[in-house]
Amino acid sequence: MEDLRQFILDRKHRAFRRAVDRNLAAEYSALGLSPRERMTRRFEYLMSLETPVFLPGEKIVFLRTVENIPDCFTEEEWEGFRKEHFIHELGYLSNISPDYETVLREGLSSLRERGDEYVKRMIDAIFALSDRYRDEAVKQGRDDVAQILSRIPRQGATTFREALQLFRILHFSLWMEGNYHITTGRFDQYMWPYLKSDLEEGRLTEESAFALLKDFFLSFNKDNDLYPGVQQGDNGQSMVLGGITRDGAPAFNLLSKLCLQASRENLMIDPKINLRVSSDTPDEIYALGTELTKAGLGFPQYSNDDVVIDALVRKGYDLEDARDYVVAACWEFIIPKYGMDIDNIAALNFPKVINQVVHASARFASYEEFSQAVRAEIFAECDRQIRRKEYDNSPEKSFHVWFVPSPLMESLMCPKYYNFGMHGTGIATAADSMAAIRKYVFEENSVAWERLVSAVDNDFANEPELLHTLRYDAPKMGQNLPTPDEAAVFLLDCFADALEGRKTPMGGVWRAGTGSAMFYLLHAADLPASPDGRRKGEPFGANFSPSLFARTKGPFSVIASFSKPHLERVCNGGPLTMEFSSSVFDTAEGIEKTAKLVQSFIRMGGHQLQLNSVNPDTLRDAQKNPEAYRGLIVRIWGWSAYFTELDKEYQDHVIARQEYSL
Amino acid sequence: MIGRLFDVKEFAVHDGPGARMTFFLKGCPLRCLWCHNPEGQRFDKELMVRSALCEHCGLCSRPAENELFRSYGRNPASCPKGLISECGEDLTPSELVDRVLPLKEILTSMGGGVTLSGGEPLMQGDFLLECCALLRDHGIHLALETCGYASEEVFREAVGAVDYVMMDLKIMDPEAHKSATGVSNEIILKNARYLMESGREFVFRTPLIPRYTDSPENLEAIASFVGEAPWETLPYNELAGAKYSMLNRIYPLDEKKENEI
Repeated sequence: MEDLRQFILDRKHRAFRRAVDRNLAAEYSALGLSPRERMTRRFEYLMSLETPVFLPGEKIVFLRTVENIPDCFTEEEWEGFRKEHFIHELGYLSNISPDYETVLREGLSSLRERGDEYVKRMIDAIFALSDRYRDEAVKQGRDDVAQILSRIPRQGATTFREALQLFRILHFSLWMEGNYHITTGRFDQYMWPYLKSDLEEGRLTEESAFALLKDFFLSFNKDNDLYPGVQQGDNGQSMVLGGITRDGAPAFNLLSKLCLQASRENLMIDPKINLRVSSDTPDEIYALGTELTKAGLGFPQYSNDDVVIDALVRKGYDLEDARDYVVAACWEFIIPKYGMDIDNIAALNFPKVINQVVHASARFASYEEFSQAVRAEIFAECDRQIRRKEYDNSPEKSFHVWFVPSPLMESLMCPKYYNFGMHGTGIATAADSMAAIRKYVFEENSVAWERLVSAVDNDFANEPELLHTLRYDAPKMGQNLPTPDEAAVFLLDCFADALEGRKTPMGGVWRAGTGSAMFYLLHAADLPASPDGRRKGEPFGANFSPSLFARTKGPFSVIASFSKPHLERVCNGGPLTMEFSSSVFDTAEGIEKTAKLVQSFIRMGGHQLQLNSVNPDTLRDAQKNPEAYRGLIVRIWGWSAYFTELDKEYQDHVIARQEYSL
Repeated sequence: MIGRLFDVKEFAVHDGPGARMTFFLKGCPLRCLWCHNPEGQRFDKELMVRSALCEHCGLCSRPAENELFRSYGRNPASCPKGLISECGEDLTPSELVDRVLPLKEILTSMGGGVTLSGGEPLMQGDFLLECCALLRDHGIHLALETCGYASEEVFREAVGAVDYVMMDLKIMDPEAHKSATGVSNEIILKNARYLMESGREFVFRTPLIPRYTDSPENLEAIASFVGEAPWETLPYNELAGAKYSMLNRIYPLDEKKENEI
């Protein structure tokens, strides 16, 4: 088992890969094939190229040996699509949570029966590959594998191991189809019946089940460098544990616990663990979560059922579905099987809103007038974002979002929700800017409006002392002070109000959120200085976090500030991120107190939380000596990655946010 | 009445029961060679410069409006990276309480409270007692972290004013104590004996400093002094010397090491 982990860490399994250089797009285009036909044909072709490989000691098999998935449309064809439709990201389905449960129970034969011609062909291609794996297993004397592959994937799983193997085959196939950010959903719920019956009937002990689970978790790390994302690690293999069932009963079980422990022992970036908790969650579960935080993977990410379920119901989700929520690739809340939401289709740049208002020609007689102008600009910007997704700025044509059809993925969905999500970037920068304006311009009258605007326009070049005051002395969100915190509440209320009642072209609703994704860099890069003392181009805090130069006294004030907004109204997703020095976790006392802190955050009404255990000196050293730190893992905006594989701007942001960590 | 702090920390996990907010009072009568908070030693305000990140832009040489800043010869208020800070903040007891109250609920829910530490908090005995009295009125659990070097009267009053005491016992040999900390341990041991009989909940603590406090003889002597009373040792902090350069001082233990080489 340890050998297999090391084998993968050493990337030896990559030796089995080969590249495909056929120009499928040109071939398919010449034949005039429909998109659905192309997707099916490509899948059949790639699966036929796959070579069965068994890594040393591995129990859960299927390894990608085809390195790349050639596009099935030409550049010109994509241009045509873009003229007719709104194309989201790469144009393929992503960020949804398929119905694994039914396939695990019934097997792929049953899905094949129900499916159309394309689904049938795709499933036949899966069967062909799994048969080749089975034959190879026989040849290599791996009778255990051969036996499992003689039942699944055709039939439903009868044991935990069969269920894990069937999941692996299905997940592998979904990636191969060309979808991405394929989440794993409520793994501890749909897998639990298989483990439970194995334990009850003596087929597995807790120890042997744990070993199997760890082996299975490694499978998420075999091909993940091939998956598309903004950076290595941004692959969306999220896993959600705990919470409550569709009936409202506590859902945390033995498998949930084993998953937390397996992640801690494997020390790899996938799967990305999320833990659902609420004010009723017992202390032991927080303790298990904190033990995992200590491992330094940036897991688990916590979400608060009290807030999230309420928020989803407010947005029109059925209560049972809301109770079943999971996260998309990072932290956007979605419903497995039923949710076709596009939870990251737009983003509101809060500091840009402030910048627009500051540069409006209007003069503001009071802070109240200024803040009403901010409210109006939030409404205007949200409207621009929404209309862009509908018409792409050409109101004479009505555009719709179009995805490349994915027969296999679609056969695992039962679409019910078509909502859109809008991120909210740089909330702390904007709230701090409003606070500075309120305090210095309107309350103390110590800085004239014109002076502030001119200092911002000059990037504070001639105003070092004003810069220092705004940047370091002014009140900041995260310090539990009324001025910035009221501004944050105001901004997020405006955001929620602006999307209230707005409809998507498919009749869904718009959801406001507190996430930034990569926009904490992208939205900030071109933005001039802001009135909180942020200089031109400097990044915002990631997601729902204090600004990078806010000096907080510690996590009590931070969680107090960040639980004040009406989060049940802005619940598209987007966590508060806090960094702790790894030394906090050196003692049992430190772990226990950290667990209590998380519990307090949940009880105070926070919605989502990421905790990182880091050592900034290690990070700096890793920048200088990357080879010595290949296994070093950090949390980025909603996923964990190997630090040395990141672009420098992402590395620098991680280091910058540690400056004032505990 | 005015007190002087050099730092405030939330979520100090090793400063008493539960999750705590810790106030560090400035000034200490001891000069322990291994001190890891050198900015807590002097009562006077001083500049701290995180020069490791300095880009030598020169803006800190701009004349300061503030007279005190002028006396430093550098202007903390013009460093664009905020690397220069004035260490030492004056406030009244009720201002201190105002900082605690917004967090009262979370401190209480996590079974914690406020810890008064230093420096040596008993050096500002009147301020400390006043803070304790006000915080107690709000039902906040109080802990004191002390080296025990204070007049019997102040020590006894302080022990009476808090719920929990963490007191250092560093070195039992009087001569060795004096050479490593600058003061005799006579008063400290006297106060320690009082603490043991006070009925107040407490713990003795010994920082394990290689070659100074961690010898078997010293630890045995402390053990026999302590008897059955609660006592814990604290591991040496490898980064103990980190802040000296920010104060333009030299970490005594580094200096000693170099002299030996």
